Amino acid sequence: MSTIIENLRQFWFFTGFANATWQNLAMIAIGILFITIAIKKGWEPLLLVPIGFGMIIGNIPMFPGLNIGVYEDGSVLNTLYQGVKQGWYPPLIFLGIGAMTDFSALISQPRLLLIGAAAQTGIFGAYLLALALGFDPNQAGAIGIIGGADGPTAIFLSSKLAPDLMGAIAVSAYSYMALVPVIQRPIMLALTTKKERLIRMPAPRQVSQREKIVFPVVGFLLTAFIVPSGLPLLGMLFFGNLLKESGVTRRLAETARGPLIDVVTTLIGLTVGASTQADKFLTGNSLKIFLLGLLSFVIATTVGVLFVKFWNLFLKGDRKINPLIGNAGVSAVPDSARVSEIVGREFDPGNHLLMHAMGPNVAGVIGSAVAAGILLGFLG
Amino acid sequence: MRYSKTIISVTVALFLGVSLAAQNLSDLLIGEVLVENTSGLVDDYGQRNGWIELFNTSSGTVKFGGCYLTDDKSDLKKYHIPTSDMDAKVGPRQSVIFYASGNASQGTFYTNFKLRKGSTVYLVSNDGRTIIDQVDIPADLPADQSVVRIPVGVKAMSFQTKVNPSPSPGSYNGDVDAKTKSQVMKEQDPHGFVLTLIAVMVVFIALLILAIIFGWIGNASKRALEGGPKATKKEKTKKAKPGEMTPEIAAAISMALSQEFGGEVYAAIALALDDYLSGGIHDLESMIITIKPSTGSQWADKTQNFRQLPR
Repeated sequence: MSTIIENLRQFWFFTGFANATWQNLAMIAIGILFITIAIKKGWEPLLLVPIGFGMIIGNIPMFPGLNIGVYEDGSVLNTLYQGVKQGWYPPLIFLGIGAMTDFSALISQPRLLLIGAAAQTGIFGAYLLALALGFDPNQAGAIGIIGGADGPTAIFLSSKLAPDLMGAIAVSAYSYMALVPVIQRPIMLALTTKKERLIRMPAPRQVSQREKIVFPVVGFLLTAFIVPSGLPLLGMLFFGNLLKESGVTRRLAETARGPLIDVVTTLIGLTVGASTQADKFLTGNSLKIFLLGLLSFVIATTVGVLFVKFWNLFLKGDRKINPLIGNAGVSAVPDSARVSEIVGREFDPGNHLLMHAMGPNVAGVIGSAVAAGILLGFLG
Repeated sequence: MRYSKTIISVTVALFLGVSLAAQNLSDLLIGEVLVENTSGLVDDYGQRNGWIELFNTSSGTVKFGGCYLTDDKSDLKKYHIPTSDMDAKVGPRQSVIFYASGNASQGTFYTNFKLRKGSTVYLVSNDGRTIIDQVDIPADLPADQSVVRIPVGVKAMSFQTKVNPSPSPGSYNGDVDAKTKSQVMKEQDPHGFVLTLIAVMVVFIALLILAIIFGWIGNASKRALEGGPKATKKEKTKKAKPGEMTPEIAAAISMALSQEFGGEVYAAIALALDDYLSGGIHDLESMIITIKPSTGSQWADKTQNFRQLPR
């Protein structure tokens, strides 16, 4: 009898109930909240569901030493986590993004690239603020990249510059990407007049297939020569786009934008979520990171809209740009472009801004990869 | 045809040139040497010997089979690295370890001499005469400390020799005392303004150049298509009428379709749009499409489910 009781006692010590802390329970609650938001609100479900469930997995209280945790060498989760830690999931996601992105809107109106560049100031605004809050430059760079509104880029850069902060940075980036409509709309309305919101832009011209093929090659050569440290992201992005546009690698493009990106997105979401173990995540720094992440989105949106307004001072007639596409410079594709479309149609139901907003939106993807390369070059 | 052959020949020659350059033995250097090993690296035989680390400074793989290692300038061919060993190569920016066990029969990576303090180690090319690199070992080198070549400068292509209290066989010989880039930035740019200014400028310049290039390509493309019909200014900015498909509406529909739907949903929407735009099925309200059941649709046709009899 005493043997049975002793074994039961041992079993109890191995259960989650015996090892639970309030921090674990708090993180599990956050994970459930993420899943709820994703399912009920439909905000970034492809990311928030895996991350939310990953949070639950990573915070199941357990007896240490069972070699099952994400931070325990050789465990299954740890093996899957290597793609995040070593930074090879994000370039694979960029391959898929390249294979699914149509750069026509950008190629037909290349001037809109500058809006994508302007919105990257969110990254550097957050960098300055993070330094002011006492973070080291490498940590500040990793935090600043949240302003790029690009989850894979944020994970890639933070895995290189500040691996300890990666969980908080990734969750912050994806959370605010899910909240893009909530964050950007009031800023866009506050910074624009009704007259500006009604500006109609001429339909973009047709883009030839040859231009679409030349774009990834020239775009890659130029950006990679300027910022070689962004090579993993830029190379995969433009390579994926070449697969799509070349017309002769349809199967490869479909795999890259289909099964491959789905697999990697599942793994990156799950493992990033699992990496947010309470003892590493529930810290004062994480709170600061969430605050800075929000500010970086605000700065990026503000500067994007103001940049267009400023630019319009020098433009005439139908060359004027609707400032409601300024927010799309952050590279949350296509969510921020959708916000431009929705807000634009609130004031003029016949004014479709989506196609115009996609230009700065995809420019933001390139811009944030370039910015990440610069930060890696200076601080890595 | 003749030109294409020339281009191919030149390309092949260039690639060959690159691969030859990548296999240049002069890209090798002696990265680190440890003489007295009492508590460090253990070889495949469970022994602690002195060791010599060769480092490949190039961006290509270097095969070093046929080269020589020696600690005697009068006998530059003292230890011959077997030419036939396929493992006698080192990847770009990688290193390889030779154990100075004094017993070459243990394998390719075991020299037939032991290291001595106060001597000089030479790496000799496969001609047996050209000294590729050499390292002087101090006579007072303590046990378990190594002589290491540390890269200096921004490009890390020149090296200085130091005594290293923490040997790092097989790994990068960075200066452990060197400040990280982040620490340097913290000292030189504590508030981050310089980095911010540079980075914003670089992002703008990169995308500006891209915009200029594609503006130019776009203009060239437009000129090539000048024979085609031109859209008037009025056409460009006119309001979309119900039932009219403009590029913006097409893009909006495409974005809507990018949600998580199955192929059947795409097909149904496409059919409905086709009917709608061609004046078929439509509702009274503008911009609202209803899919109505229609007779004679192939989807509803039961005969579509019948298997065709083979003839």
